[in-house]
Amino acid sequence: MNDKKPLAQAFTITACSEDSLLLTWPEKISLSQHQKILQLQAAIEHKLSKVLIDTVASYHCLMIYYRFDKITMLALQNAIQAMTYTLVERESNSPQNERIHTQCVNIPVYYDIDNNWDLHDVAHQCQLSIEQVIRLHSEKIYHAYALGFTPGFCYLANLAPPLHLPRKATPRTSVPKGAVAIAEQQTAVYPNTSPGGWHIIGRSPIAMYQQVSGKFVPTIKVGQTVKFHAISKTDYQQLALAEQRNGKSVKNQQELADE
Amino acid sequence: MNNNYLAVTKLNGALTLQDLGRASTQHLGFSVSGAADEYAFLSANKLLAVDAVNAKNGLITPNSHGLPVSEPLNHGAIELTFGQATFTTSANCVIAITGADCAATINDRAINNWQAHALMKGDSLVFSRPLSGVHSYLAVQGGLSLASSSALWLGSHAQTLNEMPLAFSGDKILAGSKVYFPNVQQMYQPEESHLVTTLAENFYAKKQLTLRFMPSTLFQQLTVEQQALFLTKHYTISAQSNRMGYRLIPNNVRSEQANSAIISAQLRQHVTLSAPVTYGAIQMPANEQPIVLMKERQTMGGYPTLGYVMKTDLFRLSQMRPGDAIAFVTTTLQKSQQQLTAFYKKFSRC
Repeated sequence: MNDKKPLAQAFTITACSEDSLLLTWPEKISLSQHQKILQLQAAIEHKLSKVLIDTVASYHCLMIYYRFDKITMLALQNAIQAMTYTLVERESNSPQNERIHTQCVNIPVYYDIDNNWDLHDVAHQCQLSIEQVIRLHSEKIYHAYALGFTPGFCYLANLAPPLHLPRKATPRTSVPKGAVAIAEQQTAVYPNTSPGGWHIIGRSPIAMYQQVSGKFVPTIKVGQTVKFHAISKTDYQQLALAEQRNGKSVKNQQELADE
Repeated sequence: MNNNYLAVTKLNGALTLQDLGRASTQHLGFSVSGAADEYAFLSANKLLAVDAVNAKNGLITPNSHGLPVSEPLNHGAIELTFGQATFTTSANCVIAITGADCAATINDRAINNWQAHALMKGDSLVFSRPLSGVHSYLAVQGGLSLASSSALWLGSHAQTLNEMPLAFSGDKILAGSKVYFPNVQQMYQPEESHLVTTLAENFYAKKQLTLRFMPSTLFQQLTVEQQALFLTKHYTISAQSNRMGYRLIPNNVRSEQANSAIISAQLRQHVTLSAPVTYGAIQMPANEQPIVLMKERQTMGGYPTLGYVMKTDLFRLSQMRPGDAIAFVTTTLQKSQQQLTAFYKKFSRC
């Protein structure tokens, strides 16, 4: 890939609704492309904070929600394009493949050997053994591409090709908190009970977010790397219990602070 | 501290606390949420605006909310959906009711919709199921909140059904719940305004609504025939519609309409990765039953988007019922922004 290509040619900018502008890159899951998206997002957040409502990054898009009473769509578009030229200059001076977040998030998983969920079904559909599915899922280092669907739900890619399956034909009306799931080239942990159409291959006992001083802090931030590792059922139960107790004690502190 | 409360003594239907939502935390996966019908929500707030009240009474007070006077008042209010509910108040307060007409009564005395009313301690306020419309709003002067300490979650009171397991924006409101409000600053008997009711009647559609939308890049890539097909179809609101989105069923009157796809299989292949979606996005799943995304939509979606309905038409849409008729027509970004600016100007407190 030609990394010296100016960012401005790499994406299109289109107005969506009254207060939204969409930046679209080629539709693919690419680490280097995503890093450019996150760099541009950071620059936009830094420079245009006064006119921004929010920015949301995904695999190949960046949605800008803006105060259209404070800036016109064209002025915003021009400001963003001006920024991309500056970023290209900076890029040629800095080391390539520099990650925004260097810390890897490690997620313990009790893989669903007991067949309470979809692990056996996934193995069957992919024509693999259970052990092979677990190995393929846990040996990879994933990149966090987007936060969405529900608070703290993080889309991770790329899942090893032998595990690629379409979403379930009939989504579940209820997926448990901590469910570790796969669909297509993605994997994720469901932060809370919710409907869900992905294949559940295990359960994680750790929380996918914290509430800190009235702020919501996701466990996995966009741009981070993530790795799963297998734990035993006993370890899972112990960790889940500790997490439950921890969550309760944190909540009590909050309540005390409010009174 | 908000020590006064409305006790929900009877409830049949959905009842949530709403305001203008939390638009700045979509990047964390939170739905913006907020009042489905902003016209009714903001009208209720405006009827109770302290500035307006004081101006009428010849008193001028500094802005107590911290918001610039040009910003509409954004106090938490109750959104009652197809509601039947009874409330009892623990203290004197001034309320405003707007939106779908619930033939409300105070102590069995009929009160007008789109107006402010005095509610005295111990009074019983009853809402009956509306004959038309979907959402009704009940505001109390000073604002409503769920905890007695009026805590906001990420800047908003808005409750989102899918996010209730997080337990951040208060418990689900049920019969027996209490919704809190502050001590009344100045008890008064509100005057009724005929103008508010007339303006409200003019804002809404009855039974049939044409949604003005800004076309997406995808829509512009469709052939003329495909675009015409989308624009000439009539749609019916399906019962599978809610605060997350309105699902529309096309009325395929002519057989050739039923067999042609608006989005070709080839074009559909290119749109597979999840991407951020906005309020008002017209999503086209494979069955070509368009879904118009509403306030409680999720932040990311995977369907092709044909365009974005202008916000003022979304407020109108929120009061339309399953079985009502919908059509689409294109509009521009400029017109949509102008409409929305004029809309919010109506509710600024100056």
